[in-house]
Amino acid sequence: MAVCIAVIAKENYPLYIRSIPTENELKFHYTVHTSLDVVDEKISAMGKALVDQRELYLGLLYPTEDYKVYGYVTNSKVKFVMVVDSSNTALRDNEIRSMFRKLHNSYTDVMCNPFYNPGDCIHSRAFDNMVTSMMMQVC
Amino acid sequence: MAQCVQSVQEFIQDSFVPLVAALCSEEAERLTRKNNLGFSELVKPFCRLTSEVHMRDPNNQLHVIKNLKIAVNNIITHSPQPGGIRKLLNDVVSVSQPAEGLVTNVITAGDYDLNISDRSVKASVPWYNNWKDTLMELNTSTFYSATTPWFESYRESFLQSMPASDHEFLNHYVACMLVVSSGEPEPVEQFLKLSQEQHRIQHSSEYAYPKWFIPNTLKYYVLLHDVSAGEEQRADTVYEEMKQRYGTQGCYLLKINSRGSNRGADEQIPDPWSQYLQKNSIQNQLISRKGLSRSLFSATKKWFSGSKVPEKSINELKNTSGLLYPPEAPELQIRKMADLCFLVQHYELAYSCYHTAKKDFLNDQAMLYAAGALEMAAVSAFLQPGAPRPYPAHYMDTAIQTYRDICKNMVLAERCVLLSAEILKSQSKYSDAAALLIRLTSEDSDLRSALLLEQAAHCFMNMKSPMVRKFAFHMILAGHRYSKAGQKKHALRCYCQAMQVYKGKGWSLAEDHINFTIGRQSFTLRQLDNAVSAFRHILINDSKQPAAQQGTFLREYLYVYKNVTQLSPDGPLPQLPLPYINNSATRVFFGHDRRPAEGEKQAATHISLDQEYDCESSHQWKELEEQVVAVVNKGIIPSNFQPTQYCLNSYSDNSKFPLAVVEEPVTVEVAFRNPLKVPLLLTDLSLLWKFQPKDFSAKHNGATKELACGNDMIGAEVIAEFLINSEETKMARLKLFPHQTGELHILGVVYNLGTIQDTMMLDGIDPSIGLQAGKLVYNGMSVRGRQDLEIQGPRLNNTKEEKTSIKYGPDRRLDPIITEEMPLLEVFFINFPTGLLCGEIRKAYVEFVNVSKCPLTALKVVSKHPEFFTFGGNTAVLTPLSPSASENCSAYKTVVTDSTSVCTGLMSSASSVNFGLGTGSQPEVIHVPLPDSVLLPGASIQLPMWLHGPDEEGVHEINFLFYYESIKKHSKMCHRVLRHTAVICTSRSLNVRATVCRSNALEDEGKGDNMLVFVDVENINTSEAGVKEFHIVQVSSNSKHWKLQKAVNLSEDKDYKLASRERGKLCFKAVRCKNSGENYTFADIVFGNEQIISSASPCADFFFRSLSSELKRTHAQSNMFQGAAKQSFDEAVRLIQKCSEVDLNIVVLWKAYVVEDNKQFILEGQHHVVLHTVGKEAFSFPQKQGFKKILGNSDWEDLEQESPEMVLLKFFRPENTSLPTRPTPEQLSNLIKTSLHYPESFNHSFHQKSLCLVPVTLLLSNCSEADVDVIIDLRHKTTSPEALEIHGSFTWLGQTQYKLQLKSQEVYSLHLKACFVRTGVYNLGTHRVFAKLADQVTLFETSQQNSMPALIIISNI
Repeated sequence: MAVCIAVIAKENYPLYIRSIPTENELKFHYTVHTSLDVVDEKISAMGKALVDQRELYLGLLYPTEDYKVYGYVTNSKVKFVMVVDSSNTALRDNEIRSMFRKLHNSYTDVMCNPFYNPGDCIHSRAFDNMVTSMMMQVC
Repeated sequence: MAQCVQSVQEFIQDSFVPLVAALCSEEAERLTRKNNLGFSELVKPFCRLTSEVHMRDPNNQLHVIKNLKIAVNNIITHSPQPGGIRKLLNDVVSVSQPAEGLVTNVITAGDYDLNISDRSVKASVPWYNNWKDTLMELNTSTFYSATTPWFESYRESFLQSMPASDHEFLNHYVACMLVVSSGEPEPVEQFLKLSQEQHRIQHSSEYAYPKWFIPNTLKYYVLLHDVSAGEEQRADTVYEEMKQRYGTQGCYLLKINSRGSNRGADEQIPDPWSQYLQKNSIQNQLISRKGLSRSLFSATKKWFSGSKVPEKSINELKNTSGLLYPPEAPELQIRKMADLCFLVQHYELAYSCYHTAKKDFLNDQAMLYAAGALEMAAVSAFLQPGAPRPYPAHYMDTAIQTYRDICKNMVLAERCVLLSAEILKSQSKYSDAAALLIRLTSEDSDLRSALLLEQAAHCFMNMKSPMVRKFAFHMILAGHRYSKAGQKKHALRCYCQAMQVYKGKGWSLAEDHINFTIGRQSFTLRQLDNAVSAFRHILINDSKQPAAQQGTFLREYLYVYKNVTQLSPDGPLPQLPLPYINNSATRVFFGHDRRPAEGEKQAATHISLDQEYDCESSHQWKELEEQVVAVVNKGIIPSNFQPTQYCLNSYSDNSKFPLAVVEEPVTVEVAFRNPLKVPLLLTDLSLLWKFQPKDFSAKHNGATKELACGNDMIGAEVIAEFLINSEETKMARLKLFPHQTGELHILGVVYNLGTIQDTMMLDGIDPSIGLQAGKLVYNGMSVRGRQDLEIQGPRLNNTKEEKTSIKYGPDRRLDPIITEEMPLLEVFFINFPTGLLCGEIRKAYVEFVNVSKCPLTALKVVSKHPEFFTFGGNTAVLTPLSPSASENCSAYKTVVTDSTSVCTGLMSSASSVNFGLGTGSQPEVIHVPLPDSVLLPGASIQLPMWLHGPDEEGVHEINFLFYYESIKKHSKMCHRVLRHTAVICTSRSLNVRATVCRSNALEDEGKGDNMLVFVDVENINTSEAGVKEFHIVQVSSNSKHWKLQKAVNLSEDKDYKLASRERGKLCFKAVRCKNSGENYTFADIVFGNEQIISSASPCADFFFRSLSSELKRTHAQSNMFQGAAKQSFDEAVRLIQKCSEVDLNIVVLWKAYVVEDNKQFILEGQHHVVLHTVGKEAFSFPQKQGFKKILGNSDWEDLEQESPEMVLLKFFRPENTSLPTRPTPEQLSNLIKTSLHYPESFNHSFHQKSLCLVPVTLLLSNCSEADVDVIIDLRHKTTSPEALEIHGSFTWLGQTQYKLQLKSQEVYSLHLKACFVRTGVYNLGTHRVFAKLADQVTLFETSQQNSMPALIIISNI
């Protein structure tokens, strides 16, 4: 269902990025990278007071011809970006939201690994499997 | 959007200006051509009016127009071709390029610093105020400072080249200038002709183009007069005539001066002002006309308003874009009116007209017309002074959509977008502007798409919070379109700007893609350096690209590089990025490669690059070298000593310049790593170096010639082909052969970088197959370049300064000093075994070869295990010197004995000094007995060497360090060493235990002591190594004070056999021998026919060696103990203890019968047991705390293997150790040896005499070195009733207590009498003996135990 899932560090470099049609990897990289502008914009638009109690889910960042890009920002400013096929109408906001929550939980697990060095690329089989399941899962 | 030089208002005004046609006579045209200009070009600079123009609107109100601009064009009677326009625009864009070399502005957006602007900031003004202004300007321009002149040029040309359309009148000609030269024969006639021609062009159906604003076009008559050529008077006359005919307002005499610059430039030139004034009049006339038409239009409109629909239905011609109105349709008239108002900047009126027209058009569903009206309505709404209404952006959006989707007119849509975007931009609606621009990108025009995308990118940059990434992404898109449009420079610029955002942020895939494109574009633009660096980036960063992509990258890179190098073939070699070199893993080796084994000869392992670095062993080698150097230098290690390092790596001490020897190769191992998924092929790989010849033997070396090359001094090995497979780490070993002394510096490697044919890769065939087949498909693409080897030394951490700052020490691995000739030794081992039984003696040979041109001397061997081998003592000369002669010969020196002397010891003696073990010398350092102690160049010598299997089973690594010197001494290198590591696997053989006891028998009275030695031999071999049985052939003793005298309990069968797991006990009698100083007395008890002379090599060698290492071990253990003992221990105790000490050493010599491959061998060996203490069991190899007895053998092995080399640390001070301040009773009981002598059975006739008296002799022998007081108490000690029963039956007669003093070693016999009253068996051993040292008072007085029962049988006759 998701065609590309990315975890972006606070400093806006990719911690993890995977996409299904691998021949189009470059395109998704560009898409995810560009979407960070929108994430930044959305965060800065919220203002300081609201940052603390804001919702982590940012909603649709922007639609392109073929894809919809959704965003999610953790409290430590780690961004999750998910690219979804536009043709997939079965995906509602709520589903996307729960997918992000799942992603966040899995990411937290990665962080809890004492051998993981925060800021390194994520090489976790569990995380990989979770992402794969989110990409394969048919609604 | 990028900054424009004009303001938005100016831009829009200039985009729509009244068009004036120019029609020139041939003569006039010719006149203007003198200046290489057409007429329209001639007047162009004067087309903007600097004066105000007045105009009356339909309500007759006066309006002031400022800055009016008109456009004068020559009449062209065909509409512009789309192809032509496209080419024109293309040229305009490609001509306009950012100026190179200008200071660029840095735009800071978030974390990004971007160099986007090409505009230079003129900050070079020295005055403060100006400087301040510049600073302010810089500050204000942080957000917004990029200009894109190519875009403005494009826009201007685009708008100018727009073809006139029927649905609007903005670019229809409002007037026509008729230009005639004053030089013509009939200028007035000519005016008439031109006027007619204009009429013909406008009204004949021949020409659909150009379009004219109104049917009766206003004409303006210009007489062109060249002051330099024509008659002034004639011109004036003609002008007067013109004025009369056409009126003063419509005529003008334009004087030009086509002369060269030699005359005053400003003389006679018409004032540009006057020209503008004349044009004012055109406008005024135009206005008056307009007023008329206005009234006319409104009239007709009113007239037709009722019946408009039917009219239209007649006229309407449906096409895709809706209606087509006839030119005189009232709706069009309104539109025409609006356009006119717009052109003369009466925007208020224009807006209302457009608005009206728009409604009409929309009602009629005339979409093209409606879109046009909407567009202009929006623009005029924006341009209205005071902005009474907001800019209706939705008008524009509708217009754009209509133009594009319904009318399919991209040109109009584009104009619309350009205008709207500019307006939105001026209102800071950047996001809307960007969306608008992006929406118009389409497949039909790459150039337009590129330009618009670039502008959109700039819009993102200029937003309140700049969207840097969107900017970058759209720049990439723009770059892509530029490249498709053939605008390579612009494409490159776009990619470069985008690169700044992606660079080093971890988005490697995107970064690689951009770099690759930059590389390609740079290459096509012949910017080769840029291309190279871009490709380099892709290759050196850890690329995540697939293999095929990497192959492409690499090939492109090589191709580009090749081009670069071809441009400058003589330039310095370029630094290549691939493959990676792990600098710190570089290893340097000095010396020749190890020679492989030749037949039976096995070369010394020495050291080679194939060996892994082992910290522990290198430390061992260093220790060994220090030891031998200390011995050579009489016990002191010279201060300038540094251990020889043949192989330098990251662990070795590289702070000093290493030493290499001339004519010996220097091998450098370089660790290459191929980070790519495609194989790399290096060809002609060799080292780069610098050499400085120096003569070290001469004391003064004033001038040192620096010679960078010269192959006669240094020879370099070249590796022809070196293939590194994908993602492989591979070592290359490169050699240099120094032929002169001096200082060598190895700088790096030089090679051709290439790749193998990638088709193999794509086919999925392992490239190594090609390699194996020997036909490496080499695609010919390779470049020559170099890579430097730069090794960083270790971080310094000694001083405080070094600790607080980060400093690195030097690493001189690659800077060897080439010293003069040194001898070079090679060592071969012949018949050297790999497996031995424990204790086995084997003879091997060592060959020493001097392969250098220098004689070598002072050859020594040092090893931690001197007990493992010997070269034989001074007696060794007797053994055969060649290995072939020694076959089937015993390793021992033997003598055939006669069978009679079997059981008695055969004596000989030897001193340890003869075996190189003099006092104070280091047993580890062994002098090799070279004949004349010199080995000449090329000479070789074979020496016998005996090996003694270590006592512990298992694998033993034994290190030998051969030390030698040159005969000539020189400063740099004093000695050389050669290493050898022998690996020996030992298997279990015999286990020998021995105990020594004092013999109670005092035979040979007066000769003093004798002792019994029990030797317990166990065969612990479990048929390993094919051992069938062991035969004990001889037992020898050696001691300074004792010797074995004879075997006691020898069985009839002389052959002492031990099969597997059998155990045999031997008992010997030992006697004290004459003390012969430091010499050891050897006594051999032979069980066979051959006596092995134990005092000769190799038996004695190994004995002494094992003794010394044993002593060393015990010494180390009791070092502390003895140190304390010397100070505080009582002399007396020492003496008492000494009594129970012996220094007897037992050597058990054996033969093992081994069956292997149906052949029988006899192996020989020896075990040593060192006996120190009476009564204490000693073993042939060190026991670990006696566990072995408790646990079974196999358990023990387990324990041994598992138990780590860890002991509980004990912390105590030596003086507090619990020393035995009192000697133990056991020790004391050894002071005096007693024995009773009496008849074993005594017959007595109790009938005759009731008392039976038996004489008994008590022999007392003082074993100590001191005088001893002895008290003998014969009284029965009746402690138990049992004892009473036995003892009470006999009594000693006479004195019951004796006090004696025994001198050292004195034997005293005391005659006693025992009295028995009846028959029976009695124990005579009831006496008690007390002893104390004579000079002591009561200390250590203790009873001498006499444990042995002395039984006597008394029988009656």
